[in-house]
Amino acid sequence: MKNLLGSGNPYIWLTAGMLTICLLMISGLTVLIMVNGFGIFWPRKIVQFTLLDGEVILGEIAKRESVPHQKDAYRTKVKVGNRDVYGMDFRWIDNADIVSQTYPVHALVFERREWGNLYGFLHGLRQNGGVKPLKPESMASLLGESHALYKKIRYIAKKEIGNINYRIEKTRLELKRLALLQPSEKIQKRVAEVKARMEHLEILYREKEDTLAGFYKKAMEKEVVVLLADGREKIVPVFQIIRISMPNEMGVFAKVGFYIAKFWEFIWGEPREANTEGGVFPAIFGTVMMVLIMSIAVVPLGVLTAVYLKEYAGDNFISRLVRISVSNLAGVPSIVFGVFGLGFFIYLFGGGIDKLFFSETLPTPTYGTGGILWASLTLSLLTVPVVVVATEEGLSAVPRAMREGSYALGATKIETLWKVVLPQATPGILTGTILAMARAAGEVAPLMITGVVKLAPSLPIDGYFPYIHLERKFMHLGFHIYDVGFQSPNVEAAIPMVYTTTLVLLFTVLILNLTAIVVRNKLKKWYNRGAL
Amino acid sequence: MKSKKRRKLADKTAYWVITLGGAATVVVVFALFFFIFLEVYPLLQGATVTKETTSALPGKAVLLGVDNHQEVAYAVYNDGTIAFLSLPDGGIVKKHQLTGLHRSSATHQDTTNIPSYSPDLQGGEETNSLKTKMQGNYLTSVSKDRHRLILGTNDGQILTVSINFSESFDNGKRTVSPEITEEGLILASPESCGIISAVSRRNEGTTVTVVHAANGRLILIASEVEQALFGAGDKNEIKKDITALVIPYSRDQSLLTYFRDKRTSPLSFLSEGKGGKSWPDTSTVSHPPIYATETEQTDKIEITALALDLFMENLYIGTSSGEIFHINVSDRNNPCLTEKIRVSDKAITALGFLLGDVSLVIGDAGGGVNVWMQVRNEGSPSVWLLRKVHTLASHGAPIVEIDTSQRDKGFVTAAADGTIHLNHATSEQTLLKFATGAQAFTLCLSPKADGILVADAKGRLRQWHLANPHPEATLKTLFGRVWYEGYEKPEFVWQSTGGTDDFEPKLSLIPLIFGTIKGTIYALIIAVPIGIFAALYTSQFLHNSLKIIKPVIEIMAALPSVILGFLAGLWLAPCMERIFPAIIVMPFFITLSIILALFCWKILPVFGKGWCRHGIEALFLIPFIIGAVYLSIRLGGIYESLFLDGDYREWFSNILGLPYDQRNALVVGVAMGFAVIPLIFTISEDAMSNVPNSLRSASLALGATPWQTAVRVVLPTASPGIFSAVMIGFGRAVGETMIVLMATGNTPIMDWNLFNGFRALSANIAVEIPEAPQGGTLYRVLFLAALLLFVTTFVVNTVAETVRQRMKLRYSKL
Repeated sequence: MKNLLGSGNPYIWLTAGMLTICLLMISGLTVLIMVNGFGIFWPRKIVQFTLLDGEVILGEIAKRESVPHQKDAYRTKVKVGNRDVYGMDFRWIDNADIVSQTYPVHALVFERREWGNLYGFLHGLRQNGGVKPLKPESMASLLGESHALYKKIRYIAKKEIGNINYRIEKTRLELKRLALLQPSEKIQKRVAEVKARMEHLEILYREKEDTLAGFYKKAMEKEVVVLLADGREKIVPVFQIIRISMPNEMGVFAKVGFYIAKFWEFIWGEPREANTEGGVFPAIFGTVMMVLIMSIAVVPLGVLTAVYLKEYAGDNFISRLVRISVSNLAGVPSIVFGVFGLGFFIYLFGGGIDKLFFSETLPTPTYGTGGILWASLTLSLLTVPVVVVATEEGLSAVPRAMREGSYALGATKIETLWKVVLPQATPGILTGTILAMARAAGEVAPLMITGVVKLAPSLPIDGYFPYIHLERKFMHLGFHIYDVGFQSPNVEAAIPMVYTTTLVLLFTVLILNLTAIVVRNKLKKWYNRGAL
Repeated sequence: MKSKKRRKLADKTAYWVITLGGAATVVVVFALFFFIFLEVYPLLQGATVTKETTSALPGKAVLLGVDNHQEVAYAVYNDGTIAFLSLPDGGIVKKHQLTGLHRSSATHQDTTNIPSYSPDLQGGEETNSLKTKMQGNYLTSVSKDRHRLILGTNDGQILTVSINFSESFDNGKRTVSPEITEEGLILASPESCGIISAVSRRNEGTTVTVVHAANGRLILIASEVEQALFGAGDKNEIKKDITALVIPYSRDQSLLTYFRDKRTSPLSFLSEGKGGKSWPDTSTVSHPPIYATETEQTDKIEITALALDLFMENLYIGTSSGEIFHINVSDRNNPCLTEKIRVSDKAITALGFLLGDVSLVIGDAGGGVNVWMQVRNEGSPSVWLLRKVHTLASHGAPIVEIDTSQRDKGFVTAAADGTIHLNHATSEQTLLKFATGAQAFTLCLSPKADGILVADAKGRLRQWHLANPHPEATLKTLFGRVWYEGYEKPEFVWQSTGGTDDFEPKLSLIPLIFGTIKGTIYALIIAVPIGIFAALYTSQFLHNSLKIIKPVIEIMAALPSVILGFLAGLWLAPCMERIFPAIIVMPFFITLSIILALFCWKILPVFGKGWCRHGIEALFLIPFIIGAVYLSIRLGGIYESLFLDGDYREWFSNILGLPYDQRNALVVGVAMGFAVIPLIFTISEDAMSNVPNSLRSASLALGATPWQTAVRVVLPTASPGIFSAVMIGFGRAVGETMIVLMATGNTPIMDWNLFNGFRALSANIAVEIPEAPQGGTLYRVLFLAALLLFVTTFVVNTVAETVRQRMKLRYSKL
């Protein structure tokens, strides 16, 4: 034993254990997110429980666990849905209370635009006070009709009315601007013109509203009657239904198809019900756009600093100062950058821009409030060190011989740098940019105070001049996680969505990082060859 | 071919552009610091006078008031005139003669006993001239209850007048027009003797007025309008003489007859009144022995000041002997003396309530200004006693007037020598002192607390515009213990916003700093050993074919903290709550499993040969550690029932006195440890694997075992790198926002308990800054919090970076 301790082997094993714990933590976390994130769209069987007291419950099994402080007692968490009927999505039942557990073939899941899922059996179509029997198969055409209608309504509401609103807003601002000018006959004429245009627009707006109301009325005409597990009947307008499925009847292929459809909707769809359902497309779009703007800002600054440090600065006070600044930028908490962004970019800079160029909309701020531009600039300060470090690495990998060859041919320093060194260091710059993007994509705290919102009414890019709206607020995957997981009214029902969002974010960050590593390794090999 | 000149110029330009670009980083860091500092700086500034104007008043005013925007001021005169004047140009806008005063003058005529109204009737000659001018009755006392003026006359009447300012906008220009409503007359003193002072409060139909008449009587008048379904409802009025509660002996013998008539003795009167807050049972407060000490107190005590709170419950009476009588008038029929306390050696000359009507400002004849409030007595929680909570700078002369702000806990005091102080109670600071040079005056603080108006005896109205943006933030309130309203003792509290307008912001950063330190320490306790040991193993013992592990852990550093926070808050916290006993036994089982693995390695012949050489221990351990974790979860329940009485939460709170919260510091420690481990790992691994090989080879050649080499040679050589790794890890943990935001309850409590939450500086900024108005005190205090974080991490990072640079230099020399 003494020998064993003396050899130090147990201690080595202990340190190995620490590394193992690290590895297990990472893999555990990844597996946890993957299982929870990938799992949620897989159609689960609908179970019908009959309880001891005769109650019948229909739903999906969400979780099964042992009852604390009781031996061999288990309980089941059932997602019963029907939030508008039962008031809650989940129910705990003691396994001891279950009399029978069946999987009814005709049980249906109705995915609705509001109130979450509905579990039940299709009874029929409501018509003139009576109920006409309806087969689940014939629902498809009904749904097709209602989806077409939904698209039409959305087109009118978003595109046409949006367009009119945009023009009304412009006209209103023009009126305001005219009111600020010195009154003269010419201007008065102009005011009258603009007012006439405004009236015309308002008439148009009212017309569109009427059309919309008509469509809505039409949409609400068809209703299906659904039989709930406890025998109650629930009337659901077809228009409310997004999709119906019969998971107990599905084969593997049908399930895969369903899964893909759901995942597709998740990536490309818009969020519904306070972000707890639907998709995350606006958040993905916001994240990507923010990261792109950020990289436009960060790359020049980072590369200049790296070139300065590597090529121009000797070992003097300034270069040491720059080095310490870079390491400090990496170490300063992100929230401090956020605070700086709020005070400097938004209030000082944005407020100034508003006063100069957007005085007609004041006191409503245009640039003087959080927006995608300010958030991106804030993050670009935060990610400078990442670009600097990677670019420096790329620059040091450029062989000396290349530079010397260039100088020998009579090139100046900048010519050498521009034509020889920088092209060789491009992979390094690329690595840095990708790593900076990964860092920015995952950062949330500074964004929370510089322009991220839980639900942005419109994307930062749209069809109205000037097409790219840098002052707009945006959605972000990371903030989406925080908001849905911690601020939403129905956290329990939202958690699966949060896991999937987390998965998307995790994959984005991991893929960016892996790309960076691959690029870096390629670069190393490339130079090794080049040196030979 | 470009000319040589142009090429040279391009070279030169590039040099400057790149140098400036390089310096931009330095600029950014300095800009960060200076900009945040600039936003914090105004916090440290006191109040300043921005503008001083003087205008003429028609005569000598006894009371002043002003509208919200300091555009129209009013002055009340002894003869019952109220003059409104526009402050920008000094012209009289409106004049109003109180009709109530004249009506009463027809019925009463009693000028034999002219009481003196202290500030303005001291002016000898002028008083006489004023007297001769006056016809009929005149005002002898004035006081304010927000928009209501309570005017006492020389014939024992109380007039209440309410003054409102209505604003109208025309073409973006504001016009303020005053409205006066006379609300009627109360006959307060049946003997028609003048009124020395009167205070009144009104709330939804209930009015309570306390009058001190020239005959020495103190009379409580309460009227309640009962809301009826139809019509105006009944008016219920109670008139009560409460002199006996304060003064045992009155020069006016009619008082005694008053009591005799009522067939009650003052003593029984006292013993009855035990409603409301109960009697203090400490001996410090003596029962007022009304008649017992009559002989020694004869005609010494005189009522000098009155104050009634907004809730119409507490009446404070200041006397010439420096005592405060606290009378509970919540039961209008049986007001009772609840406390009598000596607050000063000198006579009390002025009383006033701070916003919220909890704290009482007391000014005495010696110029002392103190803030007192009722504090729950330690030991007997039902007893509330008056305690001195704040002391402000004193004046050199008796305090004549106190006016309190309607915005914050600020107030203005004026002394007889003409000095004016602007004070703030919470921060215990006198923000502004100035001398008016005039002796007799009346003053008012504007409703937004941004101006002081003073009328002096010569009929001048002087107005000072104030800039007093951050009175509540001083070094003391930010970092020291402060005695807040409703607290038993001075404490560190962070509570920046409250539900009511009269909320006292509590801006102590100490609980937040404490929270940050707590989270950081727990994170480092978890991260430092794991990070450093894993790095040691990776750099010294890990097989070369497994070096791929390093980038894996680097990727771990790239994990967004929002993911860690989400998992910590919504997965780890509930999970840990369920299996907590297993967490306690887990380290033990993991150690055991490592020892077990070691023996397996030794015993099984396969290992140690071929691919299974040393260097793959970390992989070999995986099943063992998973097994240990599984086993500890399975056995956690048994452990709980054996050692923790079956329920760990109760056991912790009963035996150790530690309540268990779901989102606690341990969860944060683990999650933040997760974020910090890769940082510490990468930097210290770099340092260790860069230790020159010659050193290691020498050590091994001398016969040291690999472990001895690692501990005695590699670790000491790499210690600066490890130090900087820990420092950088510390910096990261200090500033980490999302994890602490999501995985703690964000309650600003100061408690080292591992099982409850905390609120960190960073999370606090993230939560509160979106709601903080730009330029406000909270906004700047949050910037200060950011500055603290910046400075801390700046120092830590600079030290770490310098140490690392030195180490690199040393390695290159070896």
